[in-house]
Amino acid sequence: MRKVKLCEARPIRLTRPTAWRHYRAVVPRSGIDVGDPWEAIEACYARGWTDGLPVVPPTETLVDAMLSAGPWAPGDVLLHEPVRDRAVTAEKAAINAVMAGCRPEYFPVVGVALQAIGDPAFMLHGPATSTGGSALMVIVNGPIAGKLELNAGANLFGPGARANATIGRTLRLVLLNCLECCPGVLDKSTQGWAGKYSLCFAEDEAQSPWEPLSVSRGVPTGHSAVTVFAAESGHNVLSHGTRDPERLLTGFADALAGLGSLSPGRSVIVFAPEHAQHLRRAGWRRLQVQQWLYDHAWRSLADLKRGGKVEPAFYTNPQLVDWLYRDSPGGLPTRSFVPADADHIAPADEAVRVHRGLGPEDILLAVGGGAAGGHSAFFPSWSRGRSVPFVTKEVPV
Amino acid sequence: MTRILDPTLSDAAAPASLARAPRPHTLRGLTVGLLANGKSNGMALLDGIVGRLRERHDIGDVVRAAKNNASSPMSEEDVERLAKRCAVVITAIGD
Repeated sequence: MRKVKLCEARPIRLTRPTAWRHYRAVVPRSGIDVGDPWEAIEACYARGWTDGLPVVPPTETLVDAMLSAGPWAPGDVLLHEPVRDRAVTAEKAAINAVMAGCRPEYFPVVGVALQAIGDPAFMLHGPATSTGGSALMVIVNGPIAGKLELNAGANLFGPGARANATIGRTLRLVLLNCLECCPGVLDKSTQGWAGKYSLCFAEDEAQSPWEPLSVSRGVPTGHSAVTVFAAESGHNVLSHGTRDPERLLTGFADALAGLGSLSPGRSVIVFAPEHAQHLRRAGWRRLQVQQWLYDHAWRSLADLKRGGKVEPAFYTNPQLVDWLYRDSPGGLPTRSFVPADADHIAPADEAVRVHRGLGPEDILLAVGGGAAGGHSAFFPSWSRGRSVPFVTKEVPV
Repeated sequence: MTRILDPTLSDAAAPASLARAPRPHTLRGLTVGLLANGKSNGMALLDGIVGRLRERHDIGDVVRAAKNNASSPMSEEDVERLAKRCAVVITAIGD
């Protein structure tokens, strides 16, 4: 029988003893008593405390170690979901981080990612519950990515790296356990997708032709940050036959303009290093790429109608009317709309260009993946409306 | 034995806002609030329900409110308006 070599486990240490250690003495922690780890795992299943995969039993020692690695006191609220008025404290976050398999040093990233999805602008209730079935994407920038050995390279969105797998998984466990996003009950995802288990990765800043994503979003150079997005499943954009930036980006624009996901929502593009190098050689700037993609990612209004993408209710929503007609040769029609307009294809509709998103800033660019291969990814937003914005937050030192 | 900790909010204090209001025994003559959740057809669905309520229960006035976005909480103004004027409120998602 082949021998399996096990990696040496790094010890978990309590790194930052603080006054809140006395917390346990004054606030009893609810939980269950179990005989051994296997019983603990099954007990978590029995109580519905998992995402379907086994969890690490959250013992008090492990939870304390997790808490001690972050700057928060156990009672600090990291995430408040206002629609259902649920508050997730650092202690609850730490319990779920242990269960997800995080090491304590991941906790500052976990905590700030929870703060980011809890930002009121992110409107978490939508992506957490909608039929759209989005995943919570976490992109990590800065020195902490290397320190935690977050994968920015091969198999970027796939399995293999503990930090990627467990940080992303913690967000989902918090949604399941704390926000009660039970599939089919509160989480009404029609299909969902595998990224809902976990979708966390680092940007490969060394391979990027541009400043790190976090810097483009206002974080000082050299600081660590997370950027979150509510993402539909990724679309592989493969291109091996050109180094010309416009020809290369044509495939991306075509993916962005696909009727299946065409909406006024935002997009994330993660360029493979190979594609990023083509853009670097051509000297294309970040904004130039965003602008080119926005300009070329469109379908005619007639095409949208042919594909049944225009609903009568769109015409009663000023935001959606603005989206449909913002690149129309004649501007916004002056007449009033009637519900039948959604189906009727007028000759003028052939000349109305309906773009994905509302402008170039709606297309977020990052770089990551293996050194070989012309495989990049496009992730659309989750809704047929505007959906939710990108949110970037600095990781506390 | 080892203690494992509860990852849910079941041990947190229930939000005060979840306390139930007294239930009316009849809808006759009562002002009914309609809260659409911000999806495309929420109000259309509620209007259909109001039609039935008028036929069957002889309800009084109707006050309408709609969230701007299904992902957001309703506005404080709408909460106050519905709370002040309505005896019952019906909410709906209509997609």
